[in-house]
Amino acid sequence: MSGDRSDGGTDVVPDGGTVTEGTAGGSGGSALAGLRDRDDFVVVAMAAALVVFPFLLIDVLGAIGEVIGISIGGYSGLPSLVLIYGIIVIGFNLLLGYTGLLSFGHAAFFGSAAYSAALFSQVVPSPILMVIVGTIVATLLAWPIGFVSIRRSGVYFAVLTLTFGQALYFYALGPGAWLTNGDNGFSGIEAHGLFVGAIPLDAQLIPVFDSYTVMYAFAAVVMLIAVWVANRIINSPYGLIFEALGENEERVEFVGLNVFRYKLMAFVISAVFAGVGGAMFVIHEQYIHPTTGLYWIQSGDFVIMTVLGGTGSLVGPVFGALVFEYVANVISGVTLPVVGSIGSLWRFVLGAVFVFIVWVFPRGIYGAFSDLGSRLLGGGSEESAAADGGEHE
Amino acid sequence: MARETTALSRRDVLKASGAAGAAGLTGLAGCAGGGGGGDSEYPSLGNYPVEGDEVVFGFNVPQSGSYSQEGADELRGYNLAVDHLNNGGGWADTWSDLSGDGVLGKTVTSVEGDTATNPDTARQSAQRMIDRDNAVMISGGSSSAVAIAVQGLCQEEKVQFQCCVTHSNDTTGPECVRYSFREMFNAYMTGQALAPVLSEEYGEDLNFYQLYADYSWGQTQQASMEKFFTEVGNWSQLESVATPLGTSDYSSYLSDVPRDETDVLVLNHYGLDAANSLPQALEAGLDQDMEIVVPLYNRLMAEAAADSIGGIFGTVDWSWQLDNSPSQAFVEEYRAEHDRAPSYAARIAYTQTMQYAAAAERAGTFYPPEVIRAMEGYEYDNAGLGSETLRKCDHQGQRDVLVTRGLPSGEQTEDRLLEVVNQTSRDKLGYACDAGPAAECELGEYGDE
Repeated sequence: MSGDRSDGGTDVVPDGGTVTEGTAGGSGGSALAGLRDRDDFVVVAMAAALVVFPFLLIDVLGAIGEVIGISIGGYSGLPSLVLIYGIIVIGFNLLLGYTGLLSFGHAAFFGSAAYSAALFSQVVPSPILMVIVGTIVATLLAWPIGFVSIRRSGVYFAVLTLTFGQALYFYALGPGAWLTNGDNGFSGIEAHGLFVGAIPLDAQLIPVFDSYTVMYAFAAVVMLIAVWVANRIINSPYGLIFEALGENEERVEFVGLNVFRYKLMAFVISAVFAGVGGAMFVIHEQYIHPTTGLYWIQSGDFVIMTVLGGTGSLVGPVFGALVFEYVANVISGVTLPVVGSIGSLWRFVLGAVFVFIVWVFPRGIYGAFSDLGSRLLGGGSEESAAADGGEHE
Repeated sequence: MARETTALSRRDVLKASGAAGAAGLTGLAGCAGGGGGGDSEYPSLGNYPVEGDEVVFGFNVPQSGSYSQEGADELRGYNLAVDHLNNGGGWADTWSDLSGDGVLGKTVTSVEGDTATNPDTARQSAQRMIDRDNAVMISGGSSSAVAIAVQGLCQEEKVQFQCCVTHSNDTTGPECVRYSFREMFNAYMTGQALAPVLSEEYGEDLNFYQLYADYSWGQTQQASMEKFFTEVGNWSQLESVATPLGTSDYSSYLSDVPRDETDVLVLNHYGLDAANSLPQALEAGLDQDMEIVVPLYNRLMAEAAADSIGGIFGTVDWSWQLDNSPSQAFVEEYRAEHDRAPSYAARIAYTQTMQYAAAAERAGTFYPPEVIRAMEGYEYDNAGLGSETLRKCDHQGQRDVLVTRGLPSGEQTEDRLLEVVNQTSRDKLGYACDAGPAAECELGEYGDE
């Protein structure tokens, strides 16, 4: 590697590496890399993906399904659902992927936001206000839970968060049934539509494309805001400290930073995302049940989605949310010619996908894509870089 | 089993009609097309009109979780119904409304989904059936929480829901909706049917102690038992204790039962829960000191606890042992296909599908409000339980209830685990439209107001 760099001390090698990559891209690679470094690139790329996403999920997969005779297409509620879980796991990843804290109680924030948004809708049926109220409640709840839990680390932290989540679950199911309607679930949620009810959420966005609803556009806009905010956080000095915390907590402490405060902030920020998602969920589903909102399995699903999609990358977990929800809600209804109905086997399918991804691509689906991408692009540029270097020297 | 292949074209027609009808951004999906095309005489609503020559039913049953075995038997009932609707046989031959040649000239096809006994999973599954597969009717259950969640969705989507196994008072009580009908009896009626039989069998002025599964069904079930045991037999309740749904070890709850004060122990558990709690109660020797009652039997628990159920009372929705021609016709068809007797879950699944098809035939259309009106107040006696009415005010079936007793293990056969003690007439059961659970029921809109 350093063979052709005669002047290279051990110090120079990494530097040299980055330089070659930078110069190599002069033709194509670095334009992309340069773009990727810009703050708004990720938001623009996300926006582009969001425009085609429902078409791919519903119409294209639906058409493929028609051809092969197996119903693998999505349905009109699915794209919004994926985005809502996507928002939550982007926030969850700030905690797990960057700070390295594994919370098993994020359903508490998701569910409490969902329930408070649902209750608030009985008074003011405005989706935007519902999101704000839900988020505030989740944030206020995250503060004390985080304050107590973050004092312990590792498995103790996970179990503490789990305990708080489960406490809320049992409260919602039993004693709090007067508020939550218990096991019958909270229905009768009124979200009158955007702009004081002028645009109903289930209206079609564009008349001919019934895959695109106003609800989807709403979720997409919130998703873009979430991506933008998360991106700003990660690329700020504050976010760098989150990342440093994940890598070596003691070092951060020795530098003189208040580790507890940063961890608590990471926890609260991730709860804000979960709160936004919870309120969005209730607007989308118009229904919430303790099992969906507050049960520990929901918290576990967030972990699975995040790890599946890829921790340590901003939008990676969204892929995890997509695969998870797709397998759970579409593959579970597939009937195969020989095997028969997938039905309850969907968990095996998801488990198999999970094991495969984690085994083969430890950095998740997003990591797999970026590895593939860099092998196609980066691999080529490395060769050309070497060639370039050779010519220059 | 590749499902029909015209979904895309049907979708396209809907799109086109939607495009024609929608003036701008605010056209409601599915409500936009004026005539909808074809022979429809009503405006588009839910998944009406049904394009093409096939009509889709959605069967949303638990394929995983504590009720999965029951879900499997429900599916057998559903598939038998679809077969009979298309090709004749069974009740399609005897019900005058049905032709045995599809429904309203269209071939019936079906899609399946797994509720996983989870309300949200069930709603997603139903949503997929409604949006993507254009199902005009969804049926399923085996957990009241699930049935309530899905019927709420169906009300919003204006698609018919046919309750399968759901026994909670709330389904047709405070949570009732216009787009859902339930033929199964409920916890209230179980209390009414059991209390007289038990007070005659065990005597009056007794003390009873309850355990109940802590969810929608268990809660209303224990409340109904308390109400009727107290009223009918003048019994008094010592305590009623909640146990989490899906508990596998009940020993700590059972050891709290005061043996010298308790005369009757009521185990308000269902499915796997009951299959665990009942044998454990016997193992703890509680049957030496008191009588045990399991208010709602099902096959799974009777099989799993076969050694323990001898002499234990409970209610069932229906039994294959009933000696009437609709019952026997169904049992015969089911046996021919699956080589054993159907459980009552299979019969409800079968009945609910037939009932929807018959109502559509009577209405002459799949237009949901007309199908609902054809079903409201409908009286029939061809479903194996004598005279039944689908009451208009709360969509609760008014029908007889069977009180059964477990057979001692020596007298049991593979299919015959319970004996029917009493068929309580529907005249002695139920409640008025302004009383009991029905008082809290507001059905909501038909959708054509």
